[in-house]
Amino acid sequence: MSQWPAAQLNPVRQLRVLAEVLPGVGLVERVLDAPYERVWSFLTDLEQSVPAFDPMVRSLRVLSRQGSRLVVVTRTSFLPISSRFEVELRDGWCLMRSGTYLVGMAAEPLGEQTRYAHLEGLPCHRAQALRILRPVFRRVVSGDINGIIRTLATSR
Amino acid sequence: MDLEDVVRAAQRGEPLALAALLRALGPYVGRICGAIALDDGDDAMQETMIRVLKGVRRLREPAALHGWVRRIAVREALKLARARRPLVPVEQLPEPPAGIVPELPVEVADTLRQLPPEQRAILFLRELEGFTEAEAAALLDIPAGTAKSRLHRARQAFRRRWQG
Repeated sequence: MSQWPAAQLNPVRQLRVLAEVLPGVGLVERVLDAPYERVWSFLTDLEQSVPAFDPMVRSLRVLSRQGSRLVVVTRTSFLPISSRFEVELRDGWCLMRSGTYLVGMAAEPLGEQTRYAHLEGLPCHRAQALRILRPVFRRVVSGDINGIIRTLATSR
Repeated sequence: MDLEDVVRAAQRGEPLALAALLRALGPYVGRICGAIALDDGDDAMQETMIRVLKGVRRLREPAALHGWVRRIAVREALKLARARRPLVPVEQLPEPPAGIVPELPVEVADTLRQLPPEQRAILFLRELEGFTEAEAAALLDIPAGTAKSRLHRARQAFRRRWQG
């Protein structure tokens, strides 16, 4: 009895856990009609992908990269604001955190398609009152996922 | 960053640390949930991790992390296994193919599937985790005598499935 069955928490499930634990975030899951490799290679090119699918981001630049840890800076589209994000980037998993904002992206293969989960919101653990903002962030996330779908469709 | 630092940062609600704690505990929780909840192990693991990350700020001593997590994982896995798996008497289940040696996880899982979740849990705690009967009884919130008889029945049932 040395080899017992073991459970696993894939990246999409890991993001679900974070979404349950952090009150001020919104999570949306979709099945994207593109293979995982194509979806993930597009998303992990952060300098190209994020400004392409998020209308609030004018540019993203990678300042440093050390293994799975990156530091990036974003500039917003409508105001001259720069934000510094610490990023954890692994296969199927990307978590970006600035002082005031959190973005999570996770994906897993689903045959020729991809199960994709996207989370955005406030990186705050305790203030349960922030749950009131969840629908707002879910709308923001839905817009970003629509942007991802559009970009993938136009770059076939 | 060592595990204690990760726990401290997770207690402050740092999202990157919460994610790091998820990864650090993954193999340990996965082993417990998989052995007890089998096909529902991933769901049990997800529920366990939600409870762990929600409750980590109340953990006073990071050194107690694994014991605390183990208790949550065993309970969540048992709860899910009981809820989703109607018990089938061992006598009504088909025999495993003759000559199979329990080396592959899928074959072990097939045999464990034929045990009630309560027997799987105590077998796992005693045989794999190395707890004494008294410790396993405490983890499962059952009297020591119940643990002893349940373990005896579980061992008998497991052997019977393999030996036909």
